[in-house]
Amino acid sequence: MAEALLLKPDRRFVEDLVGAGGGDLKKCFQCATCSVVCGLSNGSSPFPRKEMIWAQWGLKDRLVSDPDIWLCHQCNDCSQRCPRGARPGDVLAAVRQKAIEHYAFPSVMGNWVNSVKAVPLMLVLIPALLIAGALLVRGPLEAAVGYVDPHGHEFYAHFFPHWLLIVFYSGLTLLTFGGLIVGLFRFWAGMKANDSALGRGGAVLGFVPSVIKAATAVFTHARFGKCTDQASRKTSHFLAFYGFLALFIVTSWAVVDLYLMPLIGVESLYPFNLMHPMKILANVGGILLIIGAARAILKRMNVPADGKHQSTSFDWIFVWLLLLVGVTGFITEVFRFSVDPEVVSAIHNVAYGFYFVHLVMVFGLLVYLPYSKFAHIWYRTVAMIYAEHTGRTQEGQSLVQVAGTTD
Amino acid sequence: MDKNVAVYLCRGCDIGGALDMDALKDVAADEYDIELCREHDCLCGDEGRSLIAQDVTDGVNSVVVAACSQRFMQDAFTFDSVLTTRVNLREQVVWTHEPNDEDTDMMAQDYLRMGIVRAQKANLPDPLQEEVDRTVMVVGGGVTGLTAAQDAAAAGHQVILIEKGDELGGWMKRWAKGIPHKAPYTDPQPVDVGDQIAAVRANEKITVHTGTSIEKISGGPGQFDVTLRGNGAEPIRVGAIVQATGWKPYDPGKLGHLGYGTSPDVITNVQMEEILASGAIVRPSDGQTPKRIAFIQCAGSRDQDHLPYCSGVCCRATIKQAMMVREMAPDSEAYVLYKDIRSPGQYEAFYQRAQEDTGIFFTKADVTGVQNGGKILKVEAEDTLLGGNIQLEADLVVLATGMVPRSADGELIRQYVDAKAVVAKGEGGAQLENAKVTVEELGYLEDAEILNLGYRQGPDLPVFKHGFPDSHFICFPYESRRTGIYPTGCLRAPQDAQSAQEDGSGGALKAIQALEVTARGEAVHPRWGDMSYPEFALQRCTQCKRCTEECPFGTINEDEKGTPQPNLTRCRRCGICMGACPERIISFKDYSPEIVGSMIKAVNIPDEFDEKPRLLGLICENDAYPALDASGLKRLKHSEWIRFVPVRCLGSVNTVWIADALSSGFDGIILIGCKSGDDYQCHFIKGSELMETRSGNVQEKLKQLALEEERVQIVQVPINEFERLPEIVNAFAEEIDDIGLNPFKGF
Repeated sequence: MAEALLLKPDRRFVEDLVGAGGGDLKKCFQCATCSVVCGLSNGSSPFPRKEMIWAQWGLKDRLVSDPDIWLCHQCNDCSQRCPRGARPGDVLAAVRQKAIEHYAFPSVMGNWVNSVKAVPLMLVLIPALLIAGALLVRGPLEAAVGYVDPHGHEFYAHFFPHWLLIVFYSGLTLLTFGGLIVGLFRFWAGMKANDSALGRGGAVLGFVPSVIKAATAVFTHARFGKCTDQASRKTSHFLAFYGFLALFIVTSWAVVDLYLMPLIGVESLYPFNLMHPMKILANVGGILLIIGAARAILKRMNVPADGKHQSTSFDWIFVWLLLLVGVTGFITEVFRFSVDPEVVSAIHNVAYGFYFVHLVMVFGLLVYLPYSKFAHIWYRTVAMIYAEHTGRTQEGQSLVQVAGTTD
Repeated sequence: MDKNVAVYLCRGCDIGGALDMDALKDVAADEYDIELCREHDCLCGDEGRSLIAQDVTDGVNSVVVAACSQRFMQDAFTFDSVLTTRVNLREQVVWTHEPNDEDTDMMAQDYLRMGIVRAQKANLPDPLQEEVDRTVMVVGGGVTGLTAAQDAAAAGHQVILIEKGDELGGWMKRWAKGIPHKAPYTDPQPVDVGDQIAAVRANEKITVHTGTSIEKISGGPGQFDVTLRGNGAEPIRVGAIVQATGWKPYDPGKLGHLGYGTSPDVITNVQMEEILASGAIVRPSDGQTPKRIAFIQCAGSRDQDHLPYCSGVCCRATIKQAMMVREMAPDSEAYVLYKDIRSPGQYEAFYQRAQEDTGIFFTKADVTGVQNGGKILKVEAEDTLLGGNIQLEADLVVLATGMVPRSADGELIRQYVDAKAVVAKGEGGAQLENAKVTVEELGYLEDAEILNLGYRQGPDLPVFKHGFPDSHFICFPYESRRTGIYPTGCLRAPQDAQSAQEDGSGGALKAIQALEVTARGEAVHPRWGDMSYPEFALQRCTQCKRCTEECPFGTINEDEKGTPQPNLTRCRRCGICMGACPERIISFKDYSPEIVGSMIKAVNIPDEFDEKPRLLGLICENDAYPALDASGLKRLKHSEWIRFVPVRCLGSVNTVWIADALSSGFDGIILIGCKSGDDYQCHFIKGSELMETRSGNVQEKLKQLALEEERVQIVQVPINEFERLPEIVNAFAEEIDDIGLNPFKGF
């Protein structure tokens, strides 16, 4: 028997969860219907039942360091079947938001990035000012080092040069990524501490095999696929996931093509023409991203007010960013192929305007990644690795077993 | 009055086609010289009934109806001033045995013989004519007593309401708010007992005595003479009594393991009510407002070392208190540690409302201790929903203690008083020593009396487990073992104020019922309407005191010599005194050692060469006989050797009947009664238990006669196990067959 734990009930955290979409969490009376109907829950200490009472008692430390909250894909089977209307699925979603906010480094970012009230500041003012600032220092900087941009003649590079784009975004993204790494290490340590306090959590599987298993589950969406109640959500996610991945690969390749290939004597093909494989991949990825995000938005908008699976600003800000990144990206691309860069006209300013908006949206998505809902790609993956590593999934079904079964 | 017996044989319900009706008629005419013996196809129909009615008009005054069980068609066969004797040819004979068979006919004839003998020997009872006072006395002025008083007054009775304390209203008067009693059942509601007190005070039919207790109650239903203490010595007369003395919290001094006594900040739910009623939530130790209040449910309840039962109200009281705390001190948090939340019916809404409050935290837990850490109390618990053992810090701990009835154990007080008398006398070696020990052990009963009944068996209602007045309360709510005195409210069973008010109504109605039935000279529950009562031939009494001690209802007082002094309105007519009396001086007009003995002897015992054993079944009318009827309705066959005689209660079986049966040649006797023990089903509380005790003497007698002890057996059959009854009888028949015939047969 584990040592008696000193409980520190935290009413403020309960109220935070209520505010983050877990408004019915107090209704739970621990019947465990949720854990029984859950297709993903496992083993000796199944979720979401235990999370529900932790949430009722405001046991923040346990909840934010609980890998199980990330093993849930929120099909809301539990919310449908809950006899008390406590909506465990939505409560876990609120807990995930609070976990991301809890591990946010610096912590103030967690609160600001996800607040509707802070949207004008965080998603308009700050990126706009930073981008504007970057544009202002561009000329003096280039002059100071005597740099002549070989791509400066290209349409958008004329407005916002590639080197600045790369320095600016890579710099800021890597900066916040550092914060993410801090958060993930804390998360890992939190999971270990939590488990050892509860008398569990020894290593069962090596780290590398755990990563492989978890990654397999991520790429196949195998666990998500177990959430049969909302299969269309999996489809949306699948589309957006691979769309984003494609765009990420293309963007990365662009950097390689622009600055690394010339080093080995290969001429840069940038900007790619429409039939370049990378351009095809980019367009396909963009379409997938837009379809996935639009589907997600429509789905969320059509949930009745009293229905299960309610959305919060945490969800809305993220899905809208995804959609807007895709849409503004396409508009930007259309301008590139339809505008003659040599003939300066007012249309150029319109194109630059869209490009600017696109840049702001990308800023919101990438720079804020560790603090927004987007952070789930890391927290969930790390939690899945941890779950494999400590044998948590072995208590019931392993991820691979789940992947191999269909209902 | 001369007996004019007529016999009526019904041919309906398969009887006519299965039996030799002429042979039955011959039994009546030849063996008993019955001149009038009629047959009819349907005796209970209008034609059959008018047939009998005509004969009654012509002078018949004792009718033998040989038809169905005595439990059916009672109205059809009741005629004014006529003794009706029922012979069960349907359930016990034709429905359960081979038709047109020699053994079946013999059985029917024996039952008819018994019926005719009863019709000849028994007499129609004269009702008791006693003067009955219709005043209802209510003891206890809480919500239960107030309601009982109001309802009895509304039914037209004068009411005397006695309250020991200085004001009416009981506990509820001291609460700030109560649990909700009306829709939507979500919020604590103001206590409205003040209105009820005013209504009682204003009611002209109700006389209220506060600051008053009872010096003495003598007499019985319809004529209780009550002397009040502190209210003049003039006795008042009342007809029936509702005892609504309520409850007290379980002694928290026994809850040291939950921290009681280790810190002034560990309090009971009753103390918490007082804090809430004071208007400011402050903790006893330092007057600070507690921020964290832990409520420990089932403190000493549902616990084999304390109260094994659930009081049913503490969960709702705690929910109420937690809500009030949150309302009065919004910064406070309430932790509720429960075994189960019991909020039945509409109170689920109340529980849900409390659950919604983010400042009220619930978990199932077994609290293992409360440690005093100076200013902070540490509650330790295991087996929680939170996973594993927990510790919880609190500024105030509230123990939800259960309800204990405010009763007095009349029988135990009697033992104490007797022991004190022996000690005062100071004589007798071992007896004196035992008495000293008893006085020592029962010292806590000094001045414990509430009703101060002048009953030989003790001054208060006998109590059952946990101090609740013994009444077999599941089947017979409000009944007690003192006729005309009805425990109600939390004295009877733990309950909330609203239920207690309903209970008060129930108790008042029972009291009124007792008055009316007594005024008609009839028995109350469970022999409703019975006009017979025991008569004592005291000139032959040997003062053995068995009747005074064994009567479950304290009917019989005794004088100094030990001569019984019956108080007949207390009597329930069970006949246990009759069964107890070794001199057989107690009898009823229609039920006596002689009547039943003669019925037993009327059975035709075939001689030993016929190889037809005969068994006697003495069967309790309350549950066992209905069970036999039920097995008859299902056509479950039983041994054709047995002859059943219904008895009022196994406790009324006088052992002389067993001697009579064995000497007249019966081979075995089976006594079938209700379940005894802690969860007894005996309608007269102790009947089957007493028969068990007496059977020791019977076995002794069997030994003296060199008879096998298996020849006399007692079985207890719960009514729902009626299907087993034929198997029991058949197994007994086989056992007797193995043992062999009674060697006294034919002597």
